[in-house]
Amino acid sequence: MATEQPSEELKILILATLSGGYAGADSVGQLHADYATNTYILPVECPALFPKEFYLRTFKKGIDGIIIMYSGTDCPYKGGAERTAEIINETYPLMKERGMDTRRLRLVAICTVCTQPFLKEVTQMNNVLQEIGPVRQELSVSQD
Amino acid sequence: MPDKETSKLEPSQMKTDTEEPRIGVYTCYCGGNIGFVIDCERVADELGKLPNVVVTRTDMSMCSDVGQTMIEEDIREHGVNRVVIGACAPSLHEQTFRGTVSRAGLNPYFYHHVGIREQDSWVHSHDHEGATKKAIRLMSAGIAKARLLEPLEPIKLSAEKHALVIGGGVAGLRSAWDLSRRGLKVTLVEKSPFLGGHMAQLEKTFPSGEEAGGLLGPLIANVVSDPNITVHTYSEVTGVRGYVGDFHIQITQQSRGVDDTLGEAAMQACKTEVQDEFNYGLTNRKLVYKAYPGCYPSTPAVDWDHCPDGYLELEIDGRQIKLENQPKTFDINTGAVVVATGFQPYTPLKGEYGYLEHPEVLTLPQFIRLLTLIPEGKELQLNGHRVHNIGFVHCVGSRQIEGIHEAQEDGQVNNYCSRVCCTATLQAINELRQRYPDLNIVDIYEDIRTYGRGHEEYYAEASANQVLFMRFHGEEPAEVVRATDGDKSPLLIRVKDYLTWGEEIEVPVDMVVLAVGMMPTSIEDLIRLLKVSPGTDRFLLEVHPKLRPVETAVPGVVLAGTAQGPMNIKESIAAASAAASKVAVLLSRGKVELEPFVAHVDHELCTGSGECVEVCAYEDAISLKPVSMDGKEVEKALVTSANCVGCGVCVSACPNLAIDLQGWTLKQYDAMVDALVMDMSAIGVKHE
Ligand SMILES: Cc1cc2nc3c(=O)[nH]c(=O)nc-3n(C[C@H](O)[C@H](O)[C@H](O)COP(=O)(O)OP(=O)(O)OC[C@H]3O[C@@H](n4cnc5c(N)ncnc54)[C@H](O)[C@@H]3O)c2cc1C
Repeated sequence: MATEQPSEELKILILATLSGGYAGADSVGQLHADYATNTYILPVECPALFPKEFYLRTFKKGIDGIIIMYSGTDCPYKGGAERTAEIINETYPLMKERGMDTRRLRLVAICTVCTQPFLKEVTQMNNVLQEIGPVRQELSVSQD
Repeated sequence: MPDKETSKLEPSQMKTDTEEPRIGVYTCYCGGNIGFVIDCERVADELGKLPNVVVTRTDMSMCSDVGQTMIEEDIREHGVNRVVIGACAPSLHEQTFRGTVSRAGLNPYFYHHVGIREQDSWVHSHDHEGATKKAIRLMSAGIAKARLLEPLEPIKLSAEKHALVIGGGVAGLRSAWDLSRRGLKVTLVEKSPFLGGHMAQLEKTFPSGEEAGGLLGPLIANVVSDPNITVHTYSEVTGVRGYVGDFHIQITQQSRGVDDTLGEAAMQACKTEVQDEFNYGLTNRKLVYKAYPGCYPSTPAVDWDHCPDGYLELEIDGRQIKLENQPKTFDINTGAVVVATGFQPYTPLKGEYGYLEHPEVLTLPQFIRLLTLIPEGKELQLNGHRVHNIGFVHCVGSRQIEGIHEAQEDGQVNNYCSRVCCTATLQAINELRQRYPDLNIVDIYEDIRTYGRGHEEYYAEASANQVLFMRFHGEEPAEVVRATDGDKSPLLIRVKDYLTWGEEIEVPVDMVVLAVGMMPTSIEDLIRLLKVSPGTDRFLLEVHPKLRPVETAVPGVVLAGTAQGPMNIKESIAAASAAASKVAVLLSRGKVELEPFVAHVDHELCTGSGECVEVCAYEDAISLKPVSMDGKEVEKALVTSANCVGCGVCVSACPNLAIDLQGWTLKQYDAMVDALVMDMSAIGVKHE
């Protein structure tokens, strides 16, 4: 059954590690499990690459929700998971300062076969976005 | 099929590294896997309107010869200098298309792959319009990245045609032998004084019933007689420098304490005994000892762990002789490292199923040794008492549940399945039944996981031979308690048996055998030295469990056997051979090629602040070095490509945005995001 789509596309960017979330998304594909089409997955070796400003910029451009599907404690890169978590924690207050709901940014560990957790995260983020609406709304209010 | 043909260019005009991007976009139908859901023609049509796109094509199967030839022709004849392919998962065909692109004379990194099958058509099969629009967006993001692609060269390093294998169990031995047969020199380092690892402690092995010694002996003989392999027993790695192709490894070796001339006499003369770890403490051995009959080396060794002062005085033939440990340290140069440090059987906590509280409770490895210590035809006895009733308990130290099972020192429980214990237990049970037909045997399990070929037969045999099975639930583990005085058997196993719908049963037994799981050998020092990562289960982690199953994130360091997770002998050997193949492919040409996805510092922007060095977990991957700029000497960050794993931690740490990850730059990500949010109608893309 196709998942219901929001009328105006609220875009979810999924930054997925090649050793975790990206392969997990491929596993979801192999199951032919349906999820919403407003999800755009970009592969990344390790999300510790992205500074906090990247997330702020991305929201400003109109991405409504970002899910970082990293490999958590199974990250093959030493210190990568810890550093990612640090950066995300430092990003939350900056989002608040700009009037953004911090639920728009989520860090979750997804493994190569974590198909149900993948689907749950996508559904949850869509539910949150349905509730809080497009990011531009929040950003324009905070600028007023 | 829509072609946006361009006038022909001469090959000499194709200076791909500097010229304006001319992007070829290829959308694959993948039979109908993509094409039945996504309107590939529309995707091609719409993407053709994007700037820099000069050719857009579709094909039933882009990875076929026809598809690849089409791309090659576009590069050669139509001046395409960037390629974007929308097809199945990049993990399946990225390498294929890199080959296609480079065959046509284009830098192989001028290509970007977008997965529109697993991540689009297969998951949106009920929404053709949504899937098509998503493909357009994803591929336009790919095109945006392609505009910013830089030519990259694989990192080429000269490599020692030599591998170091750490661990002399069956996995390490097999890796060493395979490596030698592929023409490499090998050094094998074994921490204990003798080769063989845990396999040497087994007797009959499942699934073939062959004697472990009969399989291990010839392997050891092959290794130690091989002129390409140098074996150092009683040795450990104590230092690691360098990188793939050129590691400098420091090895520290304990003295054996005796040589062949003195060995036997020293064993005779030594009076001090300690628990024999080979028999898991069931027997004692001398301080000067051989691990097992027929062991390699055959020269005994002194157990320095039990000689706190580092020497042992013995009286041999009326002479006082002082045996001293004089460890020696030496360096070797190697191209790659195979980590085969193996496992340790789980040691139950005191009181766990009565362990260490009741002497009648043994672990399965102990029980296997006990069977070898009882001569054929003699009755089964423990501590002088004949055993009539015996109970086995599965999943001890495996599949543990937080809150139900007591955590270990590190606060963790072992929630994984150890995989070999079910079949190993049933094998021991069947052997027991053969030797002692009158014995009452109860097997208490959570699940029977006899998963391999020929393993289930062990369960079938036990079932057919009056072995009584009971089944508990993980949340309600069985209990082992002392029986009340007057009972015939000293212990009771209390179990809520779900084969009888939760009946609470007390089983009187004379002996309990705990089928303990596997834990990795504790190798904290080695983990620190090699910079490899353990998983949450503490076993060493591979880069990808399916696609790169024996490689670690550290180039040139691979895994073999149970250091990586519970495995039986067959699986350990398969992993060992896979590790050897990986290393052989890597080193056999005397040079190593690494993916160029490593950090790159822009020295114009770098102020030498050093944050990058602080956050980097890899030794010598990035460091501050004096660089001459505008006639002045200034400190700048320098990347040693061979040591950089490409995690990008330094990229986000740089306050000046001076660092980027080649092939995955922040600018490229920003461009991809821009494409995902772009108002497509502004450039003429249809929006229904
Ligand atoms: C009770 C039991 C019964 C089993 N029965 C069977 C069976 O019937 N059939 C079957 O297929 N499998 C069986 N197995 C599994 C089998 O034992 C393993 O698959 C096999 O022994 C694994 O070999 P390995 O080389 O990976 O590890 P190990 O045998 O543990 O070898 C690792 C070696 O590395 C050395 N080492 C450790 N740390 C260092 C260091 N830092 N430096 C240098 N050296 C180091 C160790 O001393 C050891 O010699 C059984 C396992 C158990 C526990």
